[in-house]
Amino acid sequence: MLDIQIERSYSRISIYRSSTMPKRKLNPLPAAAFQILLSLADEDLHGYGIMRQVEQQTNGRMRLGPGTLYSSIQALVEEKLIEEVDRKADAVGDSERRRYYRLTLSGRKLARVEAERLADLLRVARAKKILRGEYV
Amino acid sequence: MSDRVFALLVRLYPAAFRRKYQQEALQLYRDRLRDERGLVRRIALYRDLLLDAAVGVPLAWRNSYGEATSARIAADASGMPTFHMLEREPLKPGSVIVGCVFSIMALVAFGLVMRLPAPHRFSNGNQALSPVEAVLDRINRVVSAPTGEAGNGDTTTVNGQSSQAPASSRAESRKTTGTDERLTERQQEQVIQGVSKNLAAHYFDRQRAEAAVEKLRALKKQGAYAEIADAPALAERLTADIRNVTGDMHLNVAYSRSVIQNAAPARPSTADILQYRAMLARENCSIEVAEVLPGNIGYLKFNAFPEMSVCGASLRKAIAQVNSTRAVIFDLRDNTGGFPETVAQVAAPLFDHTVAWYTPRNARSATTLHPVPSSTLAKIPVYILTSSRTLSGAEQFTYDLKMLKRATIVGETTGGGGHVGTFHRVNEHFGIGIPETKIANPYGKPDWDGVGVEPDVKVKAANALDTAEKMAAKQIQR
Repeated sequence: MLDIQIERSYSRISIYRSSTMPKRKLNPLPAAAFQILLSLADEDLHGYGIMRQVEQQTNGRMRLGPGTLYSSIQALVEEKLIEEVDRKADAVGDSERRRYYRLTLSGRKLARVEAERLADLLRVARAKKILRGEYV
Repeated sequence: MSDRVFALLVRLYPAAFRRKYQQEALQLYRDRLRDERGLVRRIALYRDLLLDAAVGVPLAWRNSYGEATSARIAADASGMPTFHMLEREPLKPGSVIVGCVFSIMALVAFGLVMRLPAPHRFSNGNQALSPVEAVLDRINRVVSAPTGEAGNGDTTTVNGQSSQAPASSRAESRKTTGTDERLTERQQEQVIQGVSKNLAAHYFDRQRAEAAVEKLRALKKQGAYAEIADAPALAERLTADIRNVTGDMHLNVAYSRSVIQNAAPARPSTADILQYRAMLARENCSIEVAEVLPGNIGYLKFNAFPEMSVCGASLRKAIAQVNSTRAVIFDLRDNTGGFPETVAQVAAPLFDHTVAWYTPRNARSATTLHPVPSSTLAKIPVYILTSSRTLSGAEQFTYDLKMLKRATIVGETTGGGGHVGTFHRVNEHFGIGIPETKIANPYGKPDWDGVGVEPDVKVKAANALDTAEKMAAKQIQR
């Protein structure tokens, strides 16, 4: 309860924060956020598209629900790691206007840093003989 | 799970989140509902949704949703400054408590500051008060020396007997820095010179003034004042000597520890007058008792003769209360005087014809009293109770009614205080009260000045009322 209070008051003043502030919410980068960043690496997607893409790139292991998906998207947008793009849903069939998301430059950089971190982790795991060589 | 249940689930998320994503989340839910059919897949979907809520709600609450706000500011910033309400919620209890605590602290601090004595003398030596000092001075005076004489109108004069009362106490509060009360020989010489000069210049009886001046000079030569280095003692001694020679008890040399202003003291301030009036109202205009005693004897105990403009109504009401009695007793045993005008007004209903009225205090006040129509008091016996505390205006009332043979005086010889002289400044700390005009006494006998009014029936003041009551009862029966 108290934590939430503190969080809320913190987030209130965050309007005035500059981008140099530490990325508290995304540090460490949650798995869902990382997967969203990766899903946007090739093309711009809307929410449902991201969900499907993530499902696909994790072989169905991660299926983002609406809450996690949009909360993560919002966090990423606030940290300017992805950005919204308005695009008419033309050939898809539904007349609705959907928000698409695009990876920003800093988002791409962060994804690479995270991937490198994981690669380092992987190397260590391999060195410790936890992983066998064929996986990487 | 219907859309409604999903909508309920969505309500767990912050409002900003819902505003932005509810539609899309619902859309996504419907898409999955459409794509994932079959009981097992449906159950998996619902499990996913619940797990998603468990993870997503905290995540959603951690976001600031600040972008919408900053976007709005950017949109509005078209050269005009705009304001946005950042908080739409009511004040939190914590804020209210903090506000209360600070308010109370501020009040307490203010109270403490107000309790500190106000410094009422900023510069020494300079006698002219700045406006601020004048106000502080007045506040200090009102707080420290509330005196009934304040609004008396007597500020330009000093009472012969009790000279230290208003002027000096007032002046005292003006400068409390202890002045050395020891006098050098030169200062003493200066005082005696000043007193002599004022006597010669202002006293109405030139011959007696010269005699007094002569006497002072002789005493000085004899060295009678040589040992008196103490200022108050010198004032007392000079007063005694001057009175001795002139036989005039109105003459009075006064010493004031504080500086006596060169100019005539200002008229009493509005604040003083208001305070005096408030005090009068509190004390019912000094009317202690107004009642009818057994045997239909009216009894009025007046402890002063206050200003008519303030207490006229109260006095008339008190007198009206005894209007149908068969005798009236004026109890002046605790009356220390007041306004000559009031004395005359109280006495007037006692006569059914015009009489000569003696007012030594004030040359300008009435010298005749005119009867009050329909006053039934004019025909009944009047008794006046006196004590040694009866003074000034009360003595005038007693003396005049006695001379006019209108009243029977019961009690003790009055205090013998009384006349007022004009106050003259001798130097910074000495002054002298001198009667400047001789007011003719229509009754052809010396007044009470310095000797008091002798009662017709001499009894102890404490027994005066009993005696007067008995006398009145006897008189009525006759």
